[in-house]
Amino acid sequence: MNETDNTITTTRSGRDLSDAPDIIVCKGVSKWYGDFQALEKISATIKEQEVVVVLGPSGSGKSTWIRCINRLEHHQEGDIIVDGVELTNDMRNIEKIRSEVGMVFQQFNLFPHLSVRDNVTLAPIWVRKKPKAEAIEQANELLELVGIPEQADKFPGQLSGGQQQRVAIARALAMEPRIMLFDEPTSALDPEMIKEVLDVMKDLARSGMTMMVVTHEMGFAKEVADRIIFMEEGQIVEVGTPEHFFTNPTEDRTKLFLSQIL
Amino acid sequence: MTAPVEQPPSTRLAVAQRVPLWRDVVVLKWFTQVSLLAVVLAALWLFVGQAGNNLRAKDITIGFDFIDRPVDIQLSEGIDTLPNSGGRALWVGMVNTLRVASVGIVFSTILGIFVALSRLSNNWMLRKVGAMWVESLRNVPLLVQIIFYSSILATLPRTSFLDPTAAAGPLNQNQGPIHNWLHISNKGVSLPRVFIADGFYQWAIVILLGAIAAHFVRKKRLKQHDDTGRETSPILWAAGTLAIFGFVGLFIHPVFSFVGPIMGGIASLIDSLTIPMTQAVISIVAVLLALRWIRKFRTDRRSGSGHLNLSDDDWFRMIFAGLASALVIVVIYKWTGLSSWLLNSGQDLFRLAETKFNVDGAARPFDAMRPDVLKPGNFANYGKNGLTMTRGFAAVFFGVTFYHSAHIGEIVRGGILSVPKGQVEAASAVGLNRAQSLRRVILPQAFRISLPPLGNQYLSLTKNTSLAIAVGYSDIVQVGQTIYNQTGKALPVMSVWMLFYLACSLTISVVVNFFNMRLKLVER
Amino acid sequence: MTEIQSSAGVPVIAAPPQEPHLPPKEWLKKNLFSNVGNTLITIMTSVVILSLANGLLGFAFGSERQWNAVAVNSRLYMSFAYPEAQYNRIWFSFATLLVLAGLSMAIWRGGTRMPFARLAKSAYSFGVGLAIMVWLAPLSTSGTVKWEIAAGGLLLAGFIFNRIAAQDEERSLSSLTLLVGTLASIIATLWFIPYGRHSFIGDRIPQVVSEPGTVAFSTKLPWTIMLFVLVGAYYLGIVLRDRLPERRTRSVLMGFWLISPIFLIYLVLRDPAFTMNHVLYTDIPLVLGFLVVGSLILYALTKPSLGEIGRIIAMLILLAGFGSFLTPMRMIIRIFLIALGLFSLAAPTFSGDKSTRRRYSSIWSGFIVIAGWLITAVNTPSTVEVPGDLFFGGATLTLIVAFFTVILSYPLGVLLALARTSNMPIFRLLATTFIEFVRGVPLITILIFFSVMLPLFLPEGMRLPEVTSVTIGYALFSAAYVAENIRGGLQSVTRGQHEAAEAVGMSTSQKTVFIILPQALRMSIPPMVGHTIGTLKETSLLYIIGLFDLLYVGRSVIPNQTAFIGSTRENLLFVSVLYWVISYSMSKASQRIEKRVGLGER
Repeated sequence: MNETDNTITTTRSGRDLSDAPDIIVCKGVSKWYGDFQALEKISATIKEQEVVVVLGPSGSGKSTWIRCINRLEHHQEGDIIVDGVELTNDMRNIEKIRSEVGMVFQQFNLFPHLSVRDNVTLAPIWVRKKPKAEAIEQANELLELVGIPEQADKFPGQLSGGQQQRVAIARALAMEPRIMLFDEPTSALDPEMIKEVLDVMKDLARSGMTMMVVTHEMGFAKEVADRIIFMEEGQIVEVGTPEHFFTNPTEDRTKLFLSQIL
Repeated sequence: MTAPVEQPPSTRLAVAQRVPLWRDVVVLKWFTQVSLLAVVLAALWLFVGQAGNNLRAKDITIGFDFIDRPVDIQLSEGIDTLPNSGGRALWVGMVNTLRVASVGIVFSTILGIFVALSRLSNNWMLRKVGAMWVESLRNVPLLVQIIFYSSILATLPRTSFLDPTAAAGPLNQNQGPIHNWLHISNKGVSLPRVFIADGFYQWAIVILLGAIAAHFVRKKRLKQHDDTGRETSPILWAAGTLAIFGFVGLFIHPVFSFVGPIMGGIASLIDSLTIPMTQAVISIVAVLLALRWIRKFRTDRRSGSGHLNLSDDDWFRMIFAGLASALVIVVIYKWTGLSSWLLNSGQDLFRLAETKFNVDGAARPFDAMRPDVLKPGNFANYGKNGLTMTRGFAAVFFGVTFYHSAHIGEIVRGGILSVPKGQVEAASAVGLNRAQSLRRVILPQAFRISLPPLGNQYLSLTKNTSLAIAVGYSDIVQVGQTIYNQTGKALPVMSVWMLFYLACSLTISVVVNFFNMRLKLVER
Repeated sequence: MTEIQSSAGVPVIAAPPQEPHLPPKEWLKKNLFSNVGNTLITIMTSVVILSLANGLLGFAFGSERQWNAVAVNSRLYMSFAYPEAQYNRIWFSFATLLVLAGLSMAIWRGGTRMPFARLAKSAYSFGVGLAIMVWLAPLSTSGTVKWEIAAGGLLLAGFIFNRIAAQDEERSLSSLTLLVGTLASIIATLWFIPYGRHSFIGDRIPQVVSEPGTVAFSTKLPWTIMLFVLVGAYYLGIVLRDRLPERRTRSVLMGFWLISPIFLIYLVLRDPAFTMNHVLYTDIPLVLGFLVVGSLILYALTKPSLGEIGRIIAMLILLAGFGSFLTPMRMIIRIFLIALGLFSLAAPTFSGDKSTRRRYSSIWSGFIVIAGWLITAVNTPSTVEVPGDLFFGGATLTLIVAFFTVILSYPLGVLLALARTSNMPIFRLLATTFIEFVRGVPLITILIFFSVMLPLFLPEGMRLPEVTSVTIGYALFSAAYVAENIRGGLQSVTRGQHEAAEAVGMSTSQKTVFIILPQALRMSIPPMVGHTIGTLKETSLLYIIGLFDLLYVGRSVIPNQTAFIGSTRENLLFVSVLYWVISYSMSKASQRIEKRVGLGER
């Protein structure tokens, strides 16, 4: 099963990424929680500027995997190499990767005690060591980008879910990451707010950001993804372009999943 | 991975290399911890060394010899008011502490529940009284309250309520609210008491059997309830079983006198053990326990596919278990006295049990005795035969009971209020009346919420009884202070205090945790 | 009791509904006489309350009560034997605190609006309560008439407020106006109402003198000045608030609050007589040296691109600090070295652009100046002439011990809580052992331990006053409880917050300082306020180890004066009321503030 060649160069209508450099390489990544195996020998490569959507039933290890890439969880076997840096216990590497990889969470996780602007500027000031004025200027631009410049002085508790998630995206972008990870960014949102967040994500994808997205939004996957990875029970079951995946899946488990969800 | 990853030239792939020590997060983490431990240990070592020097300079020795030495202490009350040794005195103090603490816990809980109910009642007056009770008692320091109660009790008549003419004269037996039985004066209250007699221990075995029987009866009734749906009142049945056993036991308890020789046999068995044998047995048990723990640990952490997955904490715990068993072995071999003490005390315990069971068949389990004046003209201290509640006891008792009843009342009230309103509505929707919904729906949930803070209150009540020292009630702190004033052995006495209170705290938290776990299981 | 259970005692779940506009008759019927059981309870509780109040008032106003004991000894209660000639110091300290309080009230926009309707209600209930109490109390006829007139005044005020409220529902009064008005009228009574002068006269055989007339000039003048200082500071604060940037002003004021106690205590307890030689040639060069060198080192260490070398340097400095204990060296150098080591260890957390680095260095400079001043002050003898060791006591001692306990135990508690919740097993083990041990043991054993045993653990020649060692013990004890409160707050910060902070690349210490602690501390403010009040109340345990706190004065000092033998109960009642007023008003005020700013909620 893990013999599936996950390192294929992928193409998508309008984009040829076969020459792009690899930016995330996972080799035989395994992870256990106690005696439960969450990830089983995951191997995959993601190219620069590629948009990968990870699908799968809940509990299939999608979130665990992308959290391992950001080292929010520690994998126990195998290698993860992000932008040429291997994830080890080396302090320098961890610091470097954290500021290269932005992450957006299902529950937004904005800092409730800070204003929206402070949420966005905190990390640039203290982690990227930017001068304050510069950081504020950048924050204003980013908030403009995600469409909520007028909310800068409010606190997260005063915003709607969709606005909060857009602030969270701005906060992640403020670190000028090369890769963005999205962990079910729209699952906690009311239906009418999902679109505003997805629009921001689509813009981001078009601007050439490398993205890994765990989501249940099939429309988004069809429209934006360069490649879709389907996971179940901690393993990668199938990899392919959206056309291939939605129209002509090879694996039975994928078919079952799609029949349930579509 | 069979397929090697083909690397385009543009890929910047780091070669997996050894992380330098000063950058390795794991190394840094352990380095920080070990260095902090080193600093703490060094500071302790410095302090203890200094204390040793200072003590030597002052010619004070550290040792527990005061436990066996006679001391000149007169206690205000207790199981023995003129103890013959320091150890005995401390023991009496402990019993006194436990006595006032346990009575305080019971009464403060009852009172606290009433306070909570009255604060939630729909009678305005009662609500206000409850609020006044809470606000006035909570905001005055307990010590001030205890001393205040003591000074109020001091204004009671010198001997008795009823006969003011006899105030100055010698104590007349025909005094007191209930002649000859009960006396109230500024020194305290004296009442008759029931105490356990020779036959008690055999009777206790009957009760034990009764408890087991009651358990089964309860289970059976519960099952019946589940099967048929009829109200089978299992608790009532269990209590009835126990009561029947208790009553029958009063007549048949001498049957169990055969337990005595068995105890004697065990004592002789312990007597025949040698010290090296004990040491060996204890060491082996320690090692086995540690090994078993580590093994259990490792099997728990092993995944189905056989992958062993240990975190830092797990390693630390395993090392800790190993170290602990090593420590046990070192201690047991270094201090031979410990083994012989274990042997002796074990033997003594069983010999004691033997004598307790070795009584003639006619002994009664209980005896009641009314006050019997020992020293006419003085305070009606009935010594061993009566029960006396001195002024000090009363002050401490009222202090902790009132003070903690205010706190407990607030906790219970908070617990009841925190049950969501929907629960009440749901209860009335399924047709329960107010009392039923209170009994079946609200109180169980409220109890679960208020149990942990209640446990904390019991803990702090027990510790607060140490304020007895201010009103001359001979609790462990007061006795200990007298002892170290006489012998200069402050450190040993304080270690006895701390051990005692830690033991109390542990016991209470174990009990509370037990109930907490049970309630949590019910929740699932 | 079964009566209560069956009819009225069944609790109403959720707080009893408040229906303010029920007509009195219906309100009575609903809340007091809804059914037979309810009526019975009302009558029973009324009887109990009235007889209790009767007893208490009978005790308080009985003719044999020696309330004189309290009046004559009020100085003893407040500051024990603090020399009268030095009272200016206390007044000055008090005025400083009032200035800070007034400024803060203005700058933080303290105070709420009190609607007149509510004022009327409380004036009515106080008036009725007072009237009933006066009726119960065994006062002389003239006394009864006077107090009933006062009660009538309250009722009249209630009536007036009610009329104002009836005209305009929205009319309200600032609670600050109310507070100052009350204070002002109380202080005004000092000038007009003949409370009498109570004092001791004569050194050998003290005699009690009670003269008629208003209180002594040395009492009423300072209090009046204090009132003006408070009001003046408030208006100054309003002026400053409008002129200066708010945020900066607030942080400066916070800084003043933080350092004020240390300076004021030194002002009250000891006015150090610096030996200029020593100060000029040892202390100042040392402080300056550490200031300059330390600032430079820290400026260098906060350079963002420095990497691990910074940590290694910090460890070396720290090692030098600890190593200095093995060599003969001035204590001040050791302390400064360790402080510098800790500051350098924290440097990467706060590194940044130039202005950030400069700020970090200047924080070090400020720290070193204050610490240097303090250490020098501790090492020089005092000029306050005092009779013996136990010159201060009473409420002053109680407050000082409580204050320092709180100040010392909070940071320690935060550290312990962080250690206990960290993922490092040895930290956790140490913190848990300490916390559980301390929490398992009564306070009094700890206090006795520190008052008896601490001197034995100190190096030769070093001696701590008993108050100091007991305060240290109390602070350690309190820290364990603080740690548990903070731990509750730490655990209430969700996992998502940790992850979000990590995901934007913060280090563990940055995460703790910028994200976790601010939220955790906010969550733990309500229990901490309760703990602080508890700390104040439990200072009464100092009585047991024989320090002259408020309770000791009331229980053992005054009742042993020849003039007031046997006045224990009066004094104890006074002490209880004092404690009650302080802790009740503190807890009420904190509850109100919590409700207003939504503390303890996410």
